[in-house]
Amino acid sequence: MDLAYTDEQNMLRESIEKFLASEYDLTARQKLVSSETGFSGQHWQTYADLGWLGLPIAEDFGGLGGDLVDTMIMFEAFGKGLVVEPVLSTLVLFAGALDIGGSEDQKQAYLPSIASGEVQGALAYLEAAAPTDLHVVETTAVSVDTNYTITGTKSVVLHAASADHFLVSARTSGSADDPAGISLFLVPADSDGVSRKDYPTVDGLRASELVFDQVKVPQTACVGNLGEGLTLLQRVINRGILAISAEAVGAMQVLYESTIEYTKQREQFDHPLADFQVVKHRLTEMFIEYNLAKSLCMKATMLENQRTDDAQRHIHALKFLVGKSSRFVGQNAVQLHGGMGMTEDLAVAHYFKRLMMIDATFGHTDIHLQAFVG
Amino acid sequence: MDTSFSSEDLAFQKRVRAFIDENVPSGMAMWTERSKWFEALREQGGWDVPKWPEHFGGPGFTATQRYIFDSEMGKQPTPPQLPFGVGMLAPILMNYGSEEQQQRFLPGIRDGSVNWCQGYSEPGAGSDLANLKTKAVLSDDGSHYLVNGQKIWTTLAHIAHWIFCLTRTSSDGAKQEGITFLLIPMDDPGVEVRPIITLGGSHSVNEVYLTDVKVPVENRVGEEGKGWTYAKGLLAHERSGLAGIQSSVLGLEKAKVNAEKIRIGGGTLLDLPSFKNKVGVLEAELLALEFTEMRTLARVAAGGDPGPESSILKLKGTEIQQRITELNLEAAGMFAAPWGHEAFGPDFAHGATQSYLGGRATTIYGGASEVQKDVIAKNVLGLG
Ligand SMILES: Cc1cc2nc3c(=O)[nH]c(=O)nc-3n(C[C@H](O)[C@H](O)[C@H](O)COP(=O)(O)OP(=O)(O)OC[C@H]3O[C@@H](n4cnc5c(N)ncnc54)[C@H](O)[C@@H]3O)c2cc1C
Repeated sequence: MDLAYTDEQNMLRESIEKFLASEYDLTARQKLVSSETGFSGQHWQTYADLGWLGLPIAEDFGGLGGDLVDTMIMFEAFGKGLVVEPVLSTLVLFAGALDIGGSEDQKQAYLPSIASGEVQGALAYLEAAAPTDLHVVETTAVSVDTNYTITGTKSVVLHAASADHFLVSARTSGSADDPAGISLFLVPADSDGVSRKDYPTVDGLRASELVFDQVKVPQTACVGNLGEGLTLLQRVINRGILAISAEAVGAMQVLYESTIEYTKQREQFDHPLADFQVVKHRLTEMFIEYNLAKSLCMKATMLENQRTDDAQRHIHALKFLVGKSSRFVGQNAVQLHGGMGMTEDLAVAHYFKRLMMIDATFGHTDIHLQAFVG
Repeated sequence: MDTSFSSEDLAFQKRVRAFIDENVPSGMAMWTERSKWFEALREQGGWDVPKWPEHFGGPGFTATQRYIFDSEMGKQPTPPQLPFGVGMLAPILMNYGSEEQQQRFLPGIRDGSVNWCQGYSEPGAGSDLANLKTKAVLSDDGSHYLVNGQKIWTTLAHIAHWIFCLTRTSSDGAKQEGITFLLIPMDDPGVEVRPIITLGGSHSVNEVYLTDVKVPVENRVGEEGKGWTYAKGLLAHERSGLAGIQSSVLGLEKAKVNAEKIRIGGGTLLDLPSFKNKVGVLEAELLALEFTEMRTLARVAAGGDPGPESSILKLKGTEIQQRITELNLEAAGMFAAPWGHEAFGPDFAHGATQSYLGGRATTIYGGASEVQKDVIAKNVLGLG
């Protein structure tokens, strides 16, 4: 066992933190949030140039061949900076799916251009009928000659507007809630029959409602085995959970630290707030919650890295715990800032909103607790 | 002791229900038919101001009637009344204001034609309200005060006609002494309002800058230097009003309906054991809190003060409100995210996000929870 970061990992963390310290204060971030695309294309290129976009991509495909621990380190740092670029969609979900289930040709076609920053992707899986049931897929892909025709609606597709390609879950056989018969297809964003309604999200990102109306893709667009997409989807979502959990850990760290700072400096009743025992204990509890989340995030990431049998169970426990601790840390950060915690001028509000949405993303606490206890 | 209603009380309950059925507006009419609703309430004999004493045109409800009235009103949404005038300033004017002030201000408060805002908090005076620094200096001829300072978190200052302010007229003695209660028109050239945007992007609170504002002494409520005592009595009223118990009962029912719309596995979100348990815990606590309020009302009816026990209602009531917003947020799931002009997903999703974010303030304003606990510990339990 070795829980220490390697030199390379420390360098990665430092380089991201250095970038964020110089380029990503709240004002700069909010400027990106309210820009037309919602993030910076220039930053995106910088991320590619610094090797971050190639981090989890195999060396054969122009990447650095990093593992899930490397991704965790990167997302923890992104969480500290409230980064808005579509790294989750493109790198973890889209490239992740190709990494796990793609053919050599598919990997060759997409991964190098993702690592170089030229191409972005998004995962379109969520449907309104049962948003947290991965196996409920009403979107269909019907085989016509050598093509498939995809029809259906996908909701809250993160960063769909900037994506060049979508990975879409669709049913190739079975009824709408059959775990078998789900397949994943690569669909160019500019295909005929694709329409989008784009919107900003409450936590400063972008998402879309995507409608596929008889969108034609070749058979070769199928990623992984036909009809076995659910397993692949679950694995991709697991990686997504690990990434946003690490992001939450980073965000929680900023929140507990800045709440300590604030309560040390804000005086009421002729004392700094941090002098009051209730406040001290609350800050201590925030610190403990953060640490528990961080521990489980590390463990679950390492287990999934090794693909152990108990990895899935740990991932459910992690998503539950991250939701619970994010809520505690987020709510108390706002509470202990008093009225100031409610203003959009302070970073606290923005970390709070991001943590709120991380809890909702890929299933909230109760769902994962249920899956964990079985 | 008996929890059943007398036949008079039952008759009263029937009357309230019949009135509501006949008069309550819904949907957009909630806003367009507001004044009609309040007029109709008024015609019933002061139902528009249920907490005002008879002497000032209130209905003179018994404690049981108040309880019945509030419960029935809470069973459906009704047009909201801005809290600052009817609920907060009016009781102060009734208790400490001059007859001239009562005649001048109460009618506009009652019919809603004059909006008030509450200018207590300052950048350095939040939980420690007595630390306030806004200065009011009496002119040599004793005709007016010259007011300078800054208020913050002033809810609805941007639509208010008047602000009731705590100001400092003396720095001698304890902080609580030397505070004076003044009424200031918002259209005074020395009053400047700057918006503060809060979690979720809404504008309800403001900074209010007061620069050389001349306030005639006629606008002072009660005696100079006694403002703290007046405001403190009012805060107890404010707190019991903030518990929102009936709207939580209603809100919890709504949250269950919402959760039932969300399909999970073979059932709905409401079938998920950990979710269902949260609902159950809230239901049980609300039953208890409702009756705690009843006990507080009974004490008031017997001539007592809502007193420090009102802190219990505020503390638990706001915490429950927040937990209900969490249920809705959870039901909204990823559909809590869309934040544009168009709504997606379940019909309640957008509102769920807004309520969750805005609701964080309920344990901060009107006395933050941590400080409420100090109040209970000190004034009820006699601890330090
Ligand atoms: C949405 C909103 C609307 C408002 N509307 C109005 C209004 O209309 N008019 C008005 O005058 N004011 C208004 N307020 C102000 C409100 O009353 C104050 O925010 C509140 O009193 C807390 O003060 P503060 O924000 O300065 O926080 P602080 O007093 O700085 O408190 C910050 C945190 O420290 C904790 N704390 C403070 N002292 C102690 C202690 N001794 N022991 C333990 N913990 C402690 C508090 O509980 C809180 O969690 C509003 C506030 C909000 C958020």
